[in-house]
Amino acid sequence: MRKLGRFAFGGVLVAGAFAMANAAIAQDYPNRPIELVVTFGPGGGADVMGRQLAQILETELGVSIPVTNVAGASGNAGLTRLRTSPADGYTVGTLISLTVASWAADIGDNTPEDFRVLAIVQSTPSFLYVAADSRFETAEQLLDYARDNPGELTVATSGYGTQDDVALITMAEQGFDMVNVPFSAPGERYTAPLGGHTDLIYEEPGDVVQFLESGEYRPLLIFSEARHPEFPDVPTSGELGLNMVYLNTFRTLAVPAATPEDVVARLEAAVVAATQTDAWQAFCAQTYTCLEPVTGEAAQQEILTFFDAIAAQLED
Amino acid sequence: MSTFELLGMGFQNAFALSALLTIVIGLMLGVIAGALPGVSFVNAMAMALPFTYSMMPTQAMLFLGAIYVGGVFGGSISAIIINVPGTPASLPACWDGYPMTQRGEVRRALAVAIAASAIGGLTSALVLSFAAAPFATFALRFSQPEFFAATVLGLISVIAISKDRPIVSLLSLFLGMVIGTVGVDPIYGVARFTFGVPAMQSGINFVVVMIGLFAISEVIDLIATNRDLRPSKGVNVQSKVTLRDFWDVRGAIFRGSAIGSILGVIPGAGATPGAVIAYGIEKQVSPDGDKFGTGIMAGLAAPEAAKNATTGSAMVPLLTLGIPGSAATAIMLAAMMLHGVNPGPLLFLNDPTMVYTIFAAMILANILMIFAGIGVAQFFSTLMKTPPAVLGAFIILLSIIGAYGVRNNIFDVYVCIFFGFVGWGMKRIGFPTAPLVLGVILGPLAERYFMTSLANYNQDWTVFFTRPISGTILALAAVFALWSLWPVLRARYRSVVLLLADRPGR
Repeated sequence: MRKLGRFAFGGVLVAGAFAMANAAIAQDYPNRPIELVVTFGPGGGADVMGRQLAQILETELGVSIPVTNVAGASGNAGLTRLRTSPADGYTVGTLISLTVASWAADIGDNTPEDFRVLAIVQSTPSFLYVAADSRFETAEQLLDYARDNPGELTVATSGYGTQDDVALITMAEQGFDMVNVPFSAPGERYTAPLGGHTDLIYEEPGDVVQFLESGEYRPLLIFSEARHPEFPDVPTSGELGLNMVYLNTFRTLAVPAATPEDVVARLEAAVVAATQTDAWQAFCAQTYTCLEPVTGEAAQQEILTFFDAIAAQLED
Repeated sequence: MSTFELLGMGFQNAFALSALLTIVIGLMLGVIAGALPGVSFVNAMAMALPFTYSMMPTQAMLFLGAIYVGGVFGGSISAIIINVPGTPASLPACWDGYPMTQRGEVRRALAVAIAASAIGGLTSALVLSFAAAPFATFALRFSQPEFFAATVLGLISVIAISKDRPIVSLLSLFLGMVIGTVGVDPIYGVARFTFGVPAMQSGINFVVVMIGLFAISEVIDLIATNRDLRPSKGVNVQSKVTLRDFWDVRGAIFRGSAIGSILGVIPGAGATPGAVIAYGIEKQVSPDGDKFGTGIMAGLAAPEAAKNATTGSAMVPLLTLGIPGSAATAIMLAAMMLHGVNPGPLLFLNDPTMVYTIFAAMILANILMIFAGIGVAQFFSTLMKTPPAVLGAFIILLSIIGAYGVRNNIFDVYVCIFFGFVGWGMKRIGFPTAPLVLGVILGPLAERYFMTSLANYNQDWTVFFTRPISGTILALAAVFALWSLWPVLRARYRSVVLLLADRPGR
């Protein structure tokens, strides 16, 4: 009996401790390392973004933030891991536009509703570039040639069913038919115009900085509503009479949808603060991806808009 | 400043105490990680990445470069000593290295492997230092059809390495290529052979397959046959290493170094096809070619030289163009970007000191690797005195950690164990396992290059033959295949003739 009593007492203690621990989660959060799941392999855009942010967030949140690369299935392998992790704010993942596009193609078992986007931290329009020695000097020359010679110009892109593909299809519908040449390996994609293997490349500027700085790439036109402050001479697709859906490449940090509000708020604030630091500003300037971070409902909405645009295009 | 002056400056920096220490530590880590079955140098570099945040950019590159150089070699230590390749590129080291160990000549095998690797690596580091610019121009002329042709050459070399059973080897290769198609395809993003299992969409990783087929199956065999991994004759005292040994394989080392240096600039899986193609070519060229697979030194030296010769040339496109061709160079690119350095042609203008310090360090690392290699190899040799049960447990543990570590995915561990049993079964019935791994590695590459080539050239498949470089490589592949098949074909022809002659009534 005494034994039982002691056992019961112990049980109450343990239960009490758990209850206190639960209550303490939100107040103490975070009090242990937060795992950052990068949904692509080491070395890519998502990885560099994740690692840079993890480094800054460590000081913002006061805990260490180890990065784990879980690559596969266009980022869905990592997101499945994020979705099935406890929704306690101790697992954060990268969610990028390429993965959202893959959902529209029925890849993975994730949906936009499974995740709560903390903030869109990087967003960038894409350009069409030619190699330095290309015969095309201006966007007008390029468009004239594409109209007169349908299906002749080749464009290096990241693949079919991506925002690159949607942009080219939209252009083709307006009489500028160019061939999509998919290169899933970034290194091979960047080489294609340099070696004269494709006429053009569709890419965000941050991934090809080295070629822009050295003058090996010349940007001809930007798919955006407004001109880019860093490239004021490059005309927008709208100025050239093209009617495009603007699909920026974006990168976000996300948590499972069921994560408690206060934890989300804490993380969101930390991420926003991190993007204001000098380290991040230098990084985003280097990759032409600076923007005021988009959070909350607006971020969630932007992802749905992107998803719908790709899905609509794939249905046709 | 001339290249020599710049390189001299680079050596000054590389010989600074902190730089030298960085290189030595990186080398040791690389060789150890490479030698542990399951932990590849790519894992080691990814794990080392956070440690480079606090380093200067040049130091970070030296650290990662040294891990790379050491790791590519390290895989051969376990291949030679326990017949388990530490990395895919060390597969050929099992074929002639392990038989030498079984004969008790483990020291000779390790010495030849270390020397060949160091010379191969050094050749390629020199190419990087003096010919980076022309090599980069050469690399730019390679487009998708050329990559496809080079991959076909790698696939064809399987026939050359199969002893006298090309059909069975091809079967194994095709099986591997089918396994390689599992998952989301890289062109259309369609899920293939996933059977509705989301985890399968990530595909079957070739490192996981390799760990299963070679490491786990070896342990299962150990348990099943109750055999001893220790060589029956013990370490042969007569296996003293002589200078003569190195002189005898000079041709193999030279050819391997050349093949590796050229193939290294091709993106994808540079080291593995490099080693396999070098082995296949050496088998045809060497006077002892028909004895390959029984512990011939030339058969060990050529692929060893080739795989390390890919390390320097793989860095050519990274440093000159800013293009990473492999997982290892992608990690180096990440390290540079995190430090705000953009590799590419401007790096040579803006920061030649950094570039030439990296060049000097690559040269130095390949020389220092001889010592790091000997040190770690000696430690690993003590494994041969370990009871088989302990060694088996050790290998299983490392294999599972390694399989998980490839992509931090628990599904990969199940796949690895599955392939452990598959590999054991294959070995029992004498079905070759190496072609299967090559199929898993090269199959997806071949598909991707083929599809992108067609998209790029108006769906016209004749480009593979009409483009000069691609056509030449494919012609080489055809000659190579016929050359390797010739003895088998001739034997078949003779037996058919004999059969007909024996018929009664004629």
